[in-house]
Amino acid sequence: MARPELIIEGLRVGVEGREIVRGLDLAVRGGEVHAIMGPNGTGKSTMASALMGHPSYEVLGGRATLDGRNLLEMAVDERSRAGLFLAMQYPAEVTGVSNANFLRTALNARRAEDDPMPVMQFHRALKAQMASLQIPDSFAERYVNEGFSGGEKKRNEILQMAVLRPRIAILDEIDSGLDIDAVKLVASGVNQMLSEDLGVLIITHYQRILNYINPTNVHVMMQGRIARSGGPELAEQLEARGYEWLREELGIEEQLTEEA
Amino acid sequence: MAGTLLELTAEQLTTFAAGEPSWLVARRLDALRRLPELPLVHRKQTPLDTAAFLRQALPVAPTFSADSRPQGVEILDLRAALGRPDDVLERHLGRLLADGATHLEALHLATMAGGILVRVGPGVEVASPLQVSIALGGDALYAPHVLVVLDRGARLDLILELRGEKGAEAALRGAVELVLGEGAALTYTELQLLPGRVERYWPRRAELGRDASLHWILADVGGRLQVSDTRTVLRGPGSEAKVLATFFGGRRQHFDTQHIMVHEGDHTTSDIEARGVLQGKARAVYNANSVIRRNAKGASGWQHEHTLMLSEEARADLIPELEIAEWDVSAGHAASAGPVDPLQIHYLESRGIPPVEARRLIVTGFLASLLADIPLAAVRERITDIFQEKVEL
Repeated sequence: MARPELIIEGLRVGVEGREIVRGLDLAVRGGEVHAIMGPNGTGKSTMASALMGHPSYEVLGGRATLDGRNLLEMAVDERSRAGLFLAMQYPAEVTGVSNANFLRTALNARRAEDDPMPVMQFHRALKAQMASLQIPDSFAERYVNEGFSGGEKKRNEILQMAVLRPRIAILDEIDSGLDIDAVKLVASGVNQMLSEDLGVLIITHYQRILNYINPTNVHVMMQGRIARSGGPELAEQLEARGYEWLREELGIEEQLTEEA
Repeated sequence: MAGTLLELTAEQLTTFAAGEPSWLVARRLDALRRLPELPLVHRKQTPLDTAAFLRQALPVAPTFSADSRPQGVEILDLRAALGRPDDVLERHLGRLLADGATHLEALHLATMAGGILVRVGPGVEVASPLQVSIALGGDALYAPHVLVVLDRGARLDLILELRGEKGAEAALRGAVELVLGEGAALTYTELQLLPGRVERYWPRRAELGRDASLHWILADVGGRLQVSDTRTVLRGPGSEAKVLATFFGGRRQHFDTQHIMVHEGDHTTSDIEARGVLQGKARAVYNANSVIRRNAKGASGWQHEHTLMLSEEARADLIPELEIAEWDVSAGHAASAGPVDPLQIHYLESRGIPPVEARRLIVTGFLASLLADIPLAAVRERITDIFQEKVEL
């Protein structure tokens, strides 16, 4: 199969009647790690949620394709099966459904109905995957995210990504609320998966996680668009100087909106 | 409503009770005499006048079977138990049910037919669960009685399953009584898997001695009209009771459920956790009441109920109550009803699970997780499968 390719052109997204993402262009390909940085409220998470098809967000215009297929016309579950993955900022809790059952159902949704993955084979694979991510065995039988700490929820997102093997993974603030050890664990999980068959888009408010995952491309998002793109050095500049200099350079007035 | 019932004479009842000891016949006749003055059970939102369990006078006995007979527990057909040398039956049969009896409880006391006595002697801890089934045959009225007596320090896990012949227009008017001595511990699991046309009136009563512990684990799935009422009296100080109750209604099923905890002893604790799912045109009436009597110092009584509504036409009335006559207590309740959380569905879909399957997983998990304490994995799995198959999407 060709290298994965996510192409976003002129994407506009609204929530409750307000336009948050206002014409965003971005291309992410297999083997690349893009980081989107920016102050709160500039539309980073809105873009990610809209690409996954979150019911609260409305796409107002633009295009998004995954491997040439129109993402925006697909149902949420189809987008996932087409190879899109979103590690969510606030993963839902689902009582009574074990992680193992959840993941097995998700895997089987990718297979022919008459060819489900044998249960034992699944459990062996899951166990191996958990071991390589240093995730305790108890995760398998715990209910999806119920009673999980913030760090456990993020690691559970990474575990799902490892099991489902997406072509394009968007990690939405996978580092927020984590202490440095947890950030390292999450980052090492992501690093294990990097290959030509995976494109990664990391959305983050802080430069910190980029000490552990090396981005190939860095973008700054402001006022609903990509305001500047560059290489890893851009992240270092932001770390050293904050966002203010960039605002001044671009002539952008301070206009913070609430992070949706 | 009194006196709507059936013509039943003392003579007929005496014939019905032929061969029983005189104390039992006398009790039946006494209950029959009181019938006209007792009000029909008070269920505001559930019309009972036409219920099948009120139509006939004289019931028949269903079939009982024990699927496992762990060591240390006695399980006897009531008739056989009547021949016992001791007075367990005479002391306990119908005692809890007679307290505050309405017309229907008295009717059962007069006409009970068949049943079992489960008895665990002092200090006996039964290691593996006892599984008992009550099977209804064809179109008839059944009135079994289940009496469980745990002596001081005894422990038992009991799983009772109610089922019947497919398509039967049967009616069930039975009762359960649980008597727990000092320090006794019982988990009582009841799976109501009756066929779709069965109507049931089913009072459950329990009395707990000092430091006794009772967990009711209930799954109400089958039948057409289900009227049940669980009343637990925490008599002994330090006793503890919990209700973990689920109901799953579809089509035109009607569940009228009531859970009452009565705190008499000091430092007694109770917890009622109930979860329901309603689809189609199903209807649920749910009442819960934590009653804390004066002098039940340090008592604690809590209630939580949530119902998932899968269709616009289903209806739930949730009525949680507290009745507190003592200062030094902690108590509270919460009840709510609503659709499946769209963010949960979105989360599952975002991993590639189709919407229908996502809802099925969420609904099944919601109910099944409350039954995680059922002491046998095979039974837990079976009820989970039953929930899963019932979800209509």
